[in-house]
Amino acid sequence: MSRRVCLAGGAATPFDYPMHLEPESMIANCIVETQHDIPDFHLRNLQFMVYSHFSVHFGKQLAPEWIVHDHLGLVGVPHFRIENGGNTGGSALYAAFLAVKSGMFDVIGVAGWETMDNVSQSQGSEFIALASDTRYEALAGGIYPIYYAAMAHKFMKENGLTEEDFALAAVKNRNNAVDNEKSQWYRGEYQQYKRDLTIDDVMKSRLMSYPLKRYDCCLMSRGGAFCLITSEEWAKKHADGRYVVIDGAGLSSCTIRAGDRLNFPGWTEMYGEGYPDMTEFAACRKSGEDAYDMAGIEYDKALKSIDVAEIHDAFSSSEVQIYKALHWCNKDNIREFVREKRTFMGGDLPVNPGGGLMGYGHPVGATGIMSAVECYYQLTDLTPKKHRSSKTYVKNANTGLVNSHAGTGTSISNFIFRRP
Amino acid sequence: MSKKTQKAPEKKPAPRPEPAPKKAVDPRMHPIPLKVEYDDKHTNDFRGDVKEVGFHFAGYEWSSKEQQLLIDLHYDQLYYWKLAELSKMGRGFLDGELWGTQCPRCGDKFFPPRVNCWRLDEELQRTDWVRLEPQGHVHTFTIAGWSGKSSLKRLPFVLAYVVVDGCKTAIANELRGVKPWDPEFKMPVKVVWAPKEERRGVITDFHFEPADGWKPGPMNPEKERIKELCAPVYEWVKTLK
Repeated sequence: MSRRVCLAGGAATPFDYPMHLEPESMIANCIVETQHDIPDFHLRNLQFMVYSHFSVHFGKQLAPEWIVHDHLGLVGVPHFRIENGGNTGGSALYAAFLAVKSGMFDVIGVAGWETMDNVSQSQGSEFIALASDTRYEALAGGIYPIYYAAMAHKFMKENGLTEEDFALAAVKNRNNAVDNEKSQWYRGEYQQYKRDLTIDDVMKSRLMSYPLKRYDCCLMSRGGAFCLITSEEWAKKHADGRYVVIDGAGLSSCTIRAGDRLNFPGWTEMYGEGYPDMTEFAACRKSGEDAYDMAGIEYDKALKSIDVAEIHDAFSSSEVQIYKALHWCNKDNIREFVREKRTFMGGDLPVNPGGGLMGYGHPVGATGIMSAVECYYQLTDLTPKKHRSSKTYVKNANTGLVNSHAGTGTSISNFIFRRP
Repeated sequence: MSKKTQKAPEKKPAPRPEPAPKKAVDPRMHPIPLKVEYDDKHTNDFRGDVKEVGFHFAGYEWSSKEQQLLIDLHYDQLYYWKLAELSKMGRGFLDGELWGTQCPRCGDKFFPPRVNCWRLDEELQRTDWVRLEPQGHVHTFTIAGWSGKSSLKRLPFVLAYVVVDGCKTAIANELRGVKPWDPEFKMPVKVVWAPKEERRGVITDFHFEPADGWKPGPMNPEKERIKELCAPVYEWVKTLK
């Protein structure tokens, strides 16, 4: 049996747009906060650094991880940067997971950030669209909300869903974020509302791309996050009671252009003709199944086996699509699953109690790490200390799922965390 | 023992190499032209007043209260996009012809073109160029009310994923000639080219329009809803300079 890998501490900065903190200071802050939770953790423990940063466009700085790394004093310590679209954070975690699993390292720092507030929102949208095929979709005026909307439109029709069904996820995650003072929603727009967001608010918000409105979409952010990926031996000795075991890890891929996956041989031979079409996230299903297999979770019992999840709600619609890809519901019961609010606090599988991308924010390179850290807080009972109250604390959670998602579903990772 | 202290083995003079036999080229390899000279140049046809200046410090802002500095930096870059083995497609755009590719072994047809077959067992079989009928059907679509900086003024617009001429893939492009709330799944569409002098060898040299004879269905609650969502977008676009 190969050795087990743990997440043994971590923290995120507030996420905001704009925010006034340079990347090296963001990561420094996160490390200091991690040391408050894990007093045994010292900079000298770090044997390898995996950096997680998506777009060098935002900072007009190539290899920005070099700035962060030497600022932390870590010269000589091996480092590299992972860039994998919106799944950059999840992919960095995956790389660190592999490195500990291999036996090469015992303590790895994973540090990510994005500085999207360096440009205007519409310019930022266009920058991100450079991660679609610029020879085709991006030139045609496409940006990610538009691609996702085209996929969501067909998904909505084929699964008997409505705009209001999607809006439930938008409302849930933003209202969860109110309990998290680091979240962009709480720091920003919530200060005007001072009340729970409603379905009506979502329905009345401005059209982004039908069926998605402004509140169906995640936020553009500046922010950073850090976590420690360690061997179980190190975690037991230095982070007793403050670590989780990564019992499952999956990473999968799909086409860059959503229109290329209607008949892709790699998928049709695995899952049958007509899958994933432009409606399903096949890479989410595959990486989820791989993580479930590793963790010994049967697909049809996944919903019962998982107690809390932090997933990549770049759009309200994609959160719902992810429910299906992860086998929590199927075409026959997806409507009831959504309408019965099974993923709200108090439901059988609370999703995004940390606020998710729609509530907490989405500084791409930091996002997947933030999701992992939020899930870790739940499973180590740190949530009541980290959030404003215990309202978003899932008591006695034993198993958590973390999901990170890129492109039009082009790269997706899933992790299963468990209490030791 | 350190590698540095090892004695280097004595080298024998290398035998004179035999002249290399003429290798058969694997037909799956894409040829690379030794040199390309462009004899039909349109370098500045659409340049407008865009100048390439690299780093340009436009200004700065200072907060006396918080002691914070912000620099306004403009940076630009002219790219030389070489379409290389995709040039047939780009030339087609300039000439008002739609070219895709087809695997000669499995028969799968692609637009956007794939220059190698996507089936693992075909081991990167090179595809052939085939001229496509400029028509297809809408696979899915959306009505954009927001976009990137370069597309804001044409909002709201319909972006449709269209399966062209029996291809195995769908291409995203704008669907015009229809009210944003009127498109339908599976509706037949045709390719419409930009005027010849406006073509640039890129995907936006064409757009889709409903096929001749297609008529939208009557208004319904969903169409009313989309129309209502579009109304403020039309108003907002009017305010853009």
